[in-house]
Amino acid sequence: MTTAGFDELIHAPTRLEIVSLLAAAQWADFKYIRDELGLSDSALSKQLSTLESAGYVEIRKQFVGKRPRTSASLSTAGRHAFEQHVAALQRILSRSQQDPGVGPAAEADRRTPVR
Amino acid sequence: MGGTPQSQPARIEPTGDEAKAALADIRRRQGQVIRAVLVPGWYWWVMAAGMVAIGAARDTGDPVVQIITIPLAALVMVVLTGAMIPAVRRRIQLHSATRPGARGAAAIFGLILLVDGAILGTAINVRPAGFPHPATIGTAAGAVVIVIAGPLVNGYLSRLMLARARQQRDDAPPAGAGA
Repeated sequence: MTTAGFDELIHAPTRLEIVSLLAAAQWADFKYIRDELGLSDSALSKQLSTLESAGYVEIRKQFVGKRPRTSASLSTAGRHAFEQHVAALQRILSRSQQDPGVGPAAEADRRTPVR
Repeated sequence: MGGTPQSQPARIEPTGDEAKAALADIRRRQGQVIRAVLVPGWYWWVMAAGMVAIGAARDTGDPVVQIITIPLAALVMVVLTGAMIPAVRRRIQLHSATRPGARGAAAIFGLILLVDGAILGTAINVRPAGFPHPATIGTAAGAVVIVIAGPLVNGYLSRLMLARARQQRDDAPPAGAGA
């Protein structure tokens, strides 16, 4: 049994940072996300594409004057997945604080072949 | 959960410590977004300097100084305030559920009233007492208030928005089985 709502796609460190940033925003400029997270253009593009493929992120490209501007936002599905993921993390933390040696979390740990 | 664990693909679940670190990282990143939409610390000092410049120019009684200094200082304050909003909006827009709402607006309005009250209250009281430069003293009092209270309001707005972001996360309906 794994924790309901836990999302492995979101949990990858860089993607978790991107989604966390976007969760507080209606949308964010590509350059803002890149600079805040200290990523390269290509690294951010790759992660956003992965999230977009999963239906979690919507990419918007538009021109402001002659300059292209790319922005990203969490889709409804992405926001829901993020909220569920946070709830799952809170449950894991709560369980580990209540009883670190036994219970579903430890059971899940035992069943998890890759750490 | 209905399915047998053996039939399901192996999934990675974090430990309690990893979940704690991930949650801290989420809070930190959301705090970054909130700080990005708040005015920077130097903004309050520029506003304070602008106010004192206007007060000092008023006290000189020199029309040339007043004609140059007062509109210039007012222009700097208005342009700076006006330019910050679109500059932030080009980079990021806060989610509606995270915005500070009526309580945030009340805090900003309260700060304006406090600063205006400090300026007028001080200037009106020092003038009959025979102090020289009442406008400078009044605006200096307003400047002290804005330099102290401005960052406090910023901190309040930041806490308010973080609380709203946390509430938004906590209000999430429970996940369905097998998610």
